[in-house]
Amino acid sequence: MNSGATRTHFRRIGYLLVFLMAASGSLTVQAIFRSALPDWHAGIIAAVMVFIVADRLFTYRGLKDLTPFSSEWLLAIGAQWLMILIVLRLLLSYANGLDAFLSDLAQINRGSLAHLFTAEFVVSFLLAMLAWYLTGEFLGLLDLIGLEQELASSEETALIRSDLVPARQRLVSLIFGLGIVLVVLTGLARVNLRTVVPSINGESPLELNRLSGGEAGALLYFAFGLALLSLSRLMSLQTRWNRQRIPVSSGNLARQWALYSLVFLFLLAMIVSLLPAGDSLGFFSLLGTLISFLAAILFFIGQLILMLVSLLFSLPFLLLRGEPVGAVSPPPPLPTMPPVAPSAPAPGNELWELIRSILLWGVVLAIVAFAVIQFVRQHGGLREALRQSRITNWLLIAWQWLYRNAGTTGESLSRAISEGWKNISSRLESRRTLAAGPLLRLRSLDPRRQVYFYYLAMIRRGGEQGVPRKTSQTPAEYAAALEKAIPSAEDDIGSLTDAFVEARYSRRDVDATKANVVKETWARIRRAMQSTSNKE
Amino acid sequence: MSGTFLPLIAVLLLIAAFLRGGFALTLIYLVVGALAAGLWWSRRAVTKLETKRRFNGHAFLGERVTVDLHVQNKGWLPIPWLELRETLPVALVGPNSFQSVIHLGPHGQAHFEYAVDARKRGYYPIGPLAMTTGDLLGLSDSLVMQSPAEALVVYPRIIPFTSMEIPSQSPQGTLRHRLPLFEDPTRAFGKRGYTSGDSLRRIDWKSSATSGRLQVKLFEPSIALETCLILNLHTEDYYYRSRIDSSELAIVIAASIANWIVAKKQRVGLLVNGHDLLMADGKPQFVPPRKGKRHLMQVLETLARVELTESAKLGPLIQQQRYHLPWGTTLILISGMVDEQVLDELYQARRAGQNSLVILAGRDAADMTIQQRARVLGIQVYSIATERDLSVWTQAVRHA
Repeated sequence: MNSGATRTHFRRIGYLLVFLMAASGSLTVQAIFRSALPDWHAGIIAAVMVFIVADRLFTYRGLKDLTPFSSEWLLAIGAQWLMILIVLRLLLSYANGLDAFLSDLAQINRGSLAHLFTAEFVVSFLLAMLAWYLTGEFLGLLDLIGLEQELASSEETALIRSDLVPARQRLVSLIFGLGIVLVVLTGLARVNLRTVVPSINGESPLELNRLSGGEAGALLYFAFGLALLSLSRLMSLQTRWNRQRIPVSSGNLARQWALYSLVFLFLLAMIVSLLPAGDSLGFFSLLGTLISFLAAILFFIGQLILMLVSLLFSLPFLLLRGEPVGAVSPPPPLPTMPPVAPSAPAPGNELWELIRSILLWGVVLAIVAFAVIQFVRQHGGLREALRQSRITNWLLIAWQWLYRNAGTTGESLSRAISEGWKNISSRLESRRTLAAGPLLRLRSLDPRRQVYFYYLAMIRRGGEQGVPRKTSQTPAEYAAALEKAIPSAEDDIGSLTDAFVEARYSRRDVDATKANVVKETWARIRRAMQSTSNKE
Repeated sequence: MSGTFLPLIAVLLLIAAFLRGGFALTLIYLVVGALAAGLWWSRRAVTKLETKRRFNGHAFLGERVTVDLHVQNKGWLPIPWLELRETLPVALVGPNSFQSVIHLGPHGQAHFEYAVDARKRGYYPIGPLAMTTGDLLGLSDSLVMQSPAEALVVYPRIIPFTSMEIPSQSPQGTLRHRLPLFEDPTRAFGKRGYTSGDSLRRIDWKSSATSGRLQVKLFEPSIALETCLILNLHTEDYYYRSRIDSSELAIVIAASIANWIVAKKQRVGLLVNGHDLLMADGKPQFVPPRKGKRHLMQVLETLARVELTESAKLGPLIQQQRYHLPWGTTLILISGMVDEQVLDELYQARRAGQNSLVILAGRDAADMTIQQRARVLGIQVYSIATERDLSVWTQAVRHA
């Protein structure tokens, strides 16, 4: 097996172990929240953490090549975190039921964003950041240990030149450091805090809760951590052997290593599970806990996908104001709106509310669209995989079929838009909210754009004079046609056209003086046009 | 690395005490078990390792020596990784030493073969073989074990002499001689008629009776060439610019002469004042004159090992050893330069019935004053600047 293939295997196994460690840690976090804060959505928080770890594993190699704090890096990280924020918020809202979800959307609609920043959301967000950061740390250390040969070699050189702690030792410290934190938290979560105060007074002894998934998570975290240590040990040895050009005579060393590690850890786990440890968990029950946890997360993600798919299929019918096809559930009840203020809103406020709503949703949709595009770009492999997936293709075909068969969709949509626009226009006209004025402030344009403006004005007025510009005409051809119609402004038309061509297609600077000259030229052309039309 | 465990185990113990056992205790079992089992495994496995190195410990210059290395795990515990590093002399292998990584299953074994080139005379250690292993998790430090080194002797270059005139005063040896003084009564080669003055002891009575006339036996003159090579490896006796080359040339001359003498079925011994790597005090042992191939190998081995020294002067050494040599022994001194004291010792030996010959090795050895002085004392001197000059002894045999 060559070194490239070996490294690919190492990467896959290493990433899988990091994922499993993170899943075990999330299991513990879930148990802690369930114990300490039963009102919070511990499952959602844990699922989001696992999702972020998976996403980090997927995008790590693409992101690490970007220079930190460069525009590209900020764009990529920003898009990623925007997506995480939105998904986290929507999930937390959705977890409270569809009513609460719609209520939260209504809150966003009203612009009261502060309502969304609940303690649960903030804590979840911080935990998500922690999961994102720690996963990056693990992957960075694995790269230094041996996944990236150049990095590993440079790390060796740096170690020789300085007193840096070797990457593998840092990995051990990280695994055990996090393990200590998990153990402490799990220990605290087991204590029934309600009994602590009486026990201090000597009235009742310390009461411990029953065993929970938190302990299983901590135990599994250590088990997978040991497996990762075994892998990193092999990687660091391979790096050293490569650097010192020591040939590996046993061709199946990596395979044997994996086998010995598995046997070693399995035997260790079996022995440990047989030793007396009070009410601790057994080996198989540990594995069962982890599998059920991961299955629950998968089920949750499946539910979400199902919901989105059903929403997608219902969209054409919703647009037609019909009943959604194959609705998974009956139409949700109307959300319970918060109490309305007793005073009726002024007529002007309605319009303001409408504008604000449009602006808010427009901005939100734009940001979400941008974030989604960036997210999809980062997940190039995912997009390819989706394209190649039969299920996705089937869904796309089904969507296209639905869209084609819903013949009146376009008409209904256009009718709805035109009605809406008329409604807005009528409101605007009736209330005279907006003062009439120029749509464009010429002074605010830079000189180059002012030249564009005068040229376009010439074309517009030329069209009104009966010389419209054809789409196939070049500026010079149009100038020739216009000069025929207005021979008195022949030179001015030519000079304005030249100025436009220079401003549009050259990189020369266009200063204000030149813009003023063009303005005067345009004034003369306009007068010539007026005189020509008067004569006619 | 084990230091990382201490805070972890301390925290686990605290929590285990706080929770009265439970999962913290399980974690302690897991972590301590991983550390202890890993340590036990690697240490136990190392004790069951056995290595064997097979190669011909003696080689002539230019030969290639193949070394067979056999590593065996005699235990039931597998060894996941074993790093082998054989320390080899740079003079024989250059920068490419043998190193490899293997894994050994239960009772597994590995076999390696590598070659070293005998490029330079000397006594070289092949090994030691450093074997490094460790646990799977890397929680404990690596274990290093060494198997001892074995010696490889590379003999000096031997130039086959065909004709060399070494003075000898030992009669009745096996070498033919021109002077009738050294006639050997055991080597009759013919008869002739009696003439006046012939010794009665030489009359062959049987043939006289047969022929009816007195016949005397003719004896071939012969000498016994018992030789002691005295090799001077005192640093100051070689010109500093060509010290290495000249001393190596001296060793080549000594080896070639020894080879020639043994080929003539004569006795040869070796007295050298260099530094012997094998001796505890660094002083090479005196090799008394003996016959035979085995003895030649002993002489060559000594010549392979010795190196220049700065401490031992040659004069006192000759003085000490020449009394142990029999009458008639030829002392052949090979050196870069010869001082008065050494010449005086050789003269004294000559007076005591031993022969002396001086061979000056190296480009700066043609010191006329020494040669004149030696000639005055009746000591023959040869100057050999390069190996090419040894052709005087590699030509066809000349009989005067």
